[in-house]
Amino acid sequence: MSLPRVLNRQNRILLKELSKTDFKLRYQGSALGYLWALLRPLLMFAILYFVFAVIMNFNNEIPHYPVYLLTGTVLWSFFTECTSQGIQATVSRGDLIRKICFPRYVVVVSATFTALINLAINMVVVVLFALINGVTPSLSWLMVPVWILELYTFSLGIAFLLGAINVKYRDITSIWDVIIQALFYAVPIIYPMSMVIGAGDSAARMLVAKVILANPIAQTIQDVRHDLITPETVTVWNFDSAWYWKVLPIAIVIFLFIFAALYYRKKSKYFAEEV
Amino acid sequence: MKKREIGTRTVIDNPADQTAIAVSNLYKSFRLPTERAWGLKQALFNRLRGIKGFKEQQVLRGLNFEIKKGEFVGIIGRNGSGKSTLLKILSGTYYPEKGSVLVNGTLVPFIELGVGFNPELTGKENVYLNGAMLGFSNSEMDRMYNEIVSFAELRPFMNQKLKNYSSGMQVRLAFSIAIRARGDILVLDEVLAVGDAAFQQKCNDYFESLKGEQTVILVTHSMENVERFCDRAILLEDGEIMQDGDPKKVAKAYMKLFES
Repeated sequence: MSLPRVLNRQNRILLKELSKTDFKLRYQGSALGYLWALLRPLLMFAILYFVFAVIMNFNNEIPHYPVYLLTGTVLWSFFTECTSQGIQATVSRGDLIRKICFPRYVVVVSATFTALINLAINMVVVVLFALINGVTPSLSWLMVPVWILELYTFSLGIAFLLGAINVKYRDITSIWDVIIQALFYAVPIIYPMSMVIGAGDSAARMLVAKVILANPIAQTIQDVRHDLITPETVTVWNFDSAWYWKVLPIAIVIFLFIFAALYYRKKSKYFAEEV
Repeated sequence: MKKREIGTRTVIDNPADQTAIAVSNLYKSFRLPTERAWGLKQALFNRLRGIKGFKEQQVLRGLNFEIKKGEFVGIIGRNGSGKSTLLKILSGTYYPEKGSVLVNGTLVPFIELGVGFNPELTGKENVYLNGAMLGFSNSEMDRMYNEIVSFAELRPFMNQKLKNYSSGMQVRLAFSIAIRARGDILVLDEVLAVGDAAFQQKCNDYFESLKGEQTVILVTHSMENVERFCDRAILLEDGEIMQDGDPKKVAKAYMKLFES
C-alpha cells in the first residue's frame, strides 16, 4: 500500500468526518462541554502544583517551575488520551468495521485527532502561562512542534500495535491503564531530572537517568521544556552520555511505528470477523 | 492466528469488459470460539489444556458465478445459507479463504442501512457522516442534502438527535442516503421492507428505475420482489449454489426448501 493510496480522497473524507464526530461526541451531554479539554490538564496541574511546589517545595530547583510542570502535565495528558483512545478505537468502531470496507487505520487516526486538537488548545495556554511567568520567546520555540510530532508518532505506534492485539484480547485496555500509571512515575513530570542525578556522581544514578531519558515520552517532554521554557532543563542531548543513548529514543519511535503500522495492516484483514 | 487464507479479491476498472463480478471457486470458513476464548486468561487456559478454543465452520463451499453489467441479480436462501458472508466478501469486508473474486468497477460498500449512524448526532450531522462513509465530501453532500431530505420526507426533524427518531424514520433516512451512492455496482441487503406503504412505493419506483441501468445485487427473502425486479436469481443452500437462473424458477425452488 503506497502512501498516495493510504491518503486517497475517500480516506481523507472519512478521516475528517470521523474525527469531527469524535470531537463533537467527546464532551456530549456535559455542562461545560469543550471546556473540559482545558480544565482537565489545568486541574491536574493544580493538584500536582499544590503537592509538589507548595508542600514539597520543588519550586526552587527549577526556574519557572509552574510552567515547567504545566508543560509536563499537558504533554502527558496528550500521550494518555492519544493512546487510550487509539487503542480502543478499533473495537469501539466495530460496527463500521464489521460492515463497511475501508482501511481500518482510519478509525485509529481519527480517534487520536481529538487528542491533537486538545493539545493544540492546551499549548496555547502553556505559552500564555510562560509569557506571564516571564519566559522570553526565542527561536527555539520553533522546535516544539517537531517534538510534539515525535510524541504523536510514538503514541500512534502504540495505538496501532496494542489496538490490533486488543481486538482479540480485550485485556489490553486494562493492562494499558496500569502501564500508564507506572509510566507516569517513570517520566520526569513532577520531579526534576536533577533529583534523579543527585549531587554525587554515582554510577547507578547516572544509569537510571540514562534509562529515564531513553524513554521517548521523557525525551520529548524534556526537549519541549528545554526549547520552550528554560535551557537549564536536562535533556537527552545535553546529558553526559554515549551517542547511542542519545539516538535511542528516536530509534525506538521510528522502529515501533513502522513495526506497529505493518502489524496493524496485517491483522486488519480479519478485524471484520473478529471484532 | 495462523490463518490459511489464500483467496484473492481484485478490483479492476475496465469499461470494455462486460463482466461486473466474477466469482470462481470461492470458499470461506470461520473459526467460532467454542469455549469463550475472549481474553488472555481463557486463551492461555485453552492452550494449556490442549483445547483449540474454536471450531471451524464452512460457510461457503466453492461458489462459481458471473454477473454481467446491468444485471439485477437476486441472491436468496435460508437463514445461514451464506448470503451475507458472500456479500461481505464481494464488498471487501471479509477476505476470501480460497478462490477468487473479481470486481470490475466501484462497488458501493453498503450492506446494511444505517451502519455508522450515531444516535447522539442530529439527523443532519448523520447525513454528512454517512455520506463520508460512501465517499462523498462535505461540499458534495451540500449539493445532495436537499434531495436526500425530501426523499426521506424528514425535513422538520433534521436538527433533532437521531435517538429521538422512530425506527422507521431512521431507516428512511439511511435509505435516502444510500441510494445517492453512484457506484457501478449496488449491493443491497434486505432493504426493501423499509418504512410505510407510501415510502415503500417510492422505493419500488426507484428500484424499477434502476432496472437495466445499473448492476444491482439484492439479498432478500421476499420472492415477490425477486420476481418483480430481478433478471436473475441465485439460490444458496448450505454454502453452495443450488440454482441459478430465471427468477420465477429459482423462487419456486426456494419455496420448495420449506415444504419438506
